[in-house]
Amino acid sequence: MRIDLADVPALERGVSLLGSGGGGDTVTAAALLRRWLADAAGGAVRLTAARDLPPGTRVVPLGLVGATAVFTEKLPGGGEFRAAVAAIERWTGERADALMSIEVGGLNGVLPLAAAADLRLSYVDADLSGRGLPRLDQLSVAAAGRGLAPVALAEPGGQVLVLADGTPAEIERTVRSFLTGSGGWAVLALAPILAGDLPGCSVLGTTSGALDLGRRVLAAGESPGADRLAAATGGRVLTLGRVLEVAHRMGPGEHGRPGFGRGSVTVTDHATRSLLRLEMENEYLLALRDGEVVASTPDVLAVLDRRTCVPISTEVLRHGTEVAVLQLPAAGFWTDPRHAPALRPRAYGIDSDPVLLR
Amino acid sequence: MSVPVRRLLALPEWAGTVRVMAGAEGLDRTVALPRPVSDLSPEHTVGAGELVVATGPMPQGDWRIDALLRRVADAAGAGVLLPATALLEGTRRLADRLAVPLLTATSEPLDLLVAARLLLAEPELDRAELVLATHRALGERPRPPEEVVTALATVLRAPVALLDDGGTPVAGELRDPGLVRVAEPVPQRVALDDGVLLAHPVPLPSAPRPALWLATELRGAAAERAESVPQALAVAAGAAQRWLLTHRLELERDARARSALLGDLLRIDGEPGDDLRRRAADAGWRLGGWHVGIRIGTTSAVDNVARGAEVTRALRAVDIDAIVVEHGDGWTAWITVDEEPTATRVRALGKRLRAAHHELRATMGAHMGVGRPHAGPDGLAATVAEASDAARLAATRPESGTFLHVDQLGMAQLLLEWTRTDTFEPAARALLAPLRGQPGDLVRTLATYLDAESSITETAAVLGVHRNTVAARIERVERELGVDLRHRDERLALHLACRTVTLADS
Repeated sequence: MRIDLADVPALERGVSLLGSGGGGDTVTAAALLRRWLADAAGGAVRLTAARDLPPGTRVVPLGLVGATAVFTEKLPGGGEFRAAVAAIERWTGERADALMSIEVGGLNGVLPLAAAADLRLSYVDADLSGRGLPRLDQLSVAAAGRGLAPVALAEPGGQVLVLADGTPAEIERTVRSFLTGSGGWAVLALAPILAGDLPGCSVLGTTSGALDLGRRVLAAGESPGADRLAAATGGRVLTLGRVLEVAHRMGPGEHGRPGFGRGSVTVTDHATRSLLRLEMENEYLLALRDGEVVASTPDVLAVLDRRTCVPISTEVLRHGTEVAVLQLPAAGFWTDPRHAPALRPRAYGIDSDPVLLR
Repeated sequence: MSVPVRRLLALPEWAGTVRVMAGAEGLDRTVALPRPVSDLSPEHTVGAGELVVATGPMPQGDWRIDALLRRVADAAGAGVLLPATALLEGTRRLADRLAVPLLTATSEPLDLLVAARLLLAEPELDRAELVLATHRALGERPRPPEEVVTALATVLRAPVALLDDGGTPVAGELRDPGLVRVAEPVPQRVALDDGVLLAHPVPLPSAPRPALWLATELRGAAAERAESVPQALAVAAGAAQRWLLTHRLELERDARARSALLGDLLRIDGEPGDDLRRRAADAGWRLGGWHVGIRIGTTSAVDNVARGAEVTRALRAVDIDAIVVEHGDGWTAWITVDEEPTATRVRALGKRLRAAHHELRATMGAHMGVGRPHAGPDGLAATVAEASDAARLAATRPESGTFLHVDQLGMAQLLLEWTRTDTFEPAARALLAPLRGQPGDLVRTLATYLDAESSITETAAVLGVHRNTVAARIERVERELGVDLRHRDERLALHLACRTVTLADS
């Protein structure tokens, strides 16, 4: 399977939906991808399913970490992908045969494809999140017990950092501190994963899945009804209504550090006047209808512009917007009881049991 | 006990410090239990009537406030009280939508909780105090009804009365004692225009109906205490029951002694011995003079010990001061006078006794016989024996109103003996045949008329109809039969015929 210029809009729409309100804006990443696709041989990137690769193929997970808002203002110099991959190759002594994304939801659903075009590597149809995720220690490799280390970071100022060892939580903390003191964002590359190991520690088929989802939503047209939207996305429409209130506040921090910003959104349903409340951090995490919890992470909760069906992220949603709120089923990886604790509401400090579509 | 949320807002501790932030429509939800919670954990299960009082610090805009509102709504709880905090618009809208009062307080939530709990516990405290006060006032010693009623009225600060099993006050006074449904032996509560009537039965062991009722009327402001008073009534009913049991024991003992004394007197042959005279004198019975015996028979279902007083009362009401002794199924009574009574006085006595009998029949199935005057101790036995015979006969003669005076009895007995032959009855029936099937019950009227010595007035009294009706019927009888009732032979023949036919038919 190949991804070319014509696929970019559908891919963008799909990964934005899977971002669950987070994952970063895809516009800049899509612009970069378009440029690299134009330069690439045949104007396309090869997308290979994990099972089609020889089991010994070394796949490097790659993605952008840090303040995604800064990324759009402070564009990459161009050498960050190469620097990060080179650093991890040198540290591990293994060559990268292919790339994959660390997080399909949001801009990391698009940007690693640009890296693959740049580095002339093939791209594996899998990622380490299956949706948008806020923290590195929640990635599927950490949830599956493989750990994260070693990790290589390349920031736009030219600094390259390799974290040779540490628990996922330690690595998450150290990466955050590094980003605060440097350019605000960096390209991150993990040690290569053998293609034969991918089914146990990654979420498979997510890029093609996002592309598919994006195509179906685009085909649904403008202002689709609830039934049509649900059928197109394979999810459930929680409400069609107008945003009554958006409130931001600081969330509970850990170890004396401030946490992510917290917030609440209330949407008044046009048909029933019921109140749908969304609790959010970087992503939408929990939905209550008239005070009753009706949906939660790890299912994807997306807020769509009512007319255009463009997903609206947590930081740009505004009072008065006409929206549709959508619940999409979580990837099977996250409903597996061995992995579920990493993404259930309590992992975000929300005292509720998960309420899932299936 | 429960009060609406609105009532709590009026508490002095609450007023001024508690604000209704939303859900004002639910302010009439009832609070049964204000409960503190230290945080908003979804683990806390809300109960019906629960007011959730959050005591801990409240994270701003916490979604768990919304979830708690929902749980309160689902469990029919009363509301949510939070420490003062900024609330999201969405949270306030939700409280409005669910009509669950959402309150915030600037004062210490635990102080508010204590004030609310005290208010809710007030009726129980009031009730406990009232019961204790009643118990103290009545003590453990049996007290007569008047004292029970006075003591209880003081404690309740309301009128109290002890009613008999007909609903008539025995002690104390009420405005509407008749509202107590004496046929239902359970504690009662009857709504009045301006309050409530409460009644509690005072039963005797193994008696099917309560012997007495203790009742009180709570009018106006006193009606507020209708929840507390029944328990106090129950305690006081216990005191009344103790008195009843003690009194009953005395009555029984007394009744047995009198009954034994009467038995001994009725058995004497000649002059009574000194011992018997002493016992009679101790009982206040005069053996000398002239006695007129009265026998009042009832069925064994009538409690003759308890209702002896009623018989005495009924006789007093017609000015007859008789000695009444519980004896077999009923009572034996007699009056004693110094001189031999004249025929006029005997007749007057019979008339008054008939009136008393009529009174007694209203409440019990009693039949009455009256003996002729006899003198001396053995005369007492004789007149009582006549009265007993007359009463036995009266029981079988509804046409005489189940009342017989021995003066009328000699003739009747004679007639009865004569007419008990097989040949007489068909003849008697033939004689009265024209009266059969006529409106106005002519045979019975004629029989009663002849029994009453052709007295229209007495016939009317016995039948319970107007004297003009009797006169009209007698005229019709004469017409139908073609007889003249002034003629003594015809009267005699018809009287015999009537008696025979009535006896054979009964």
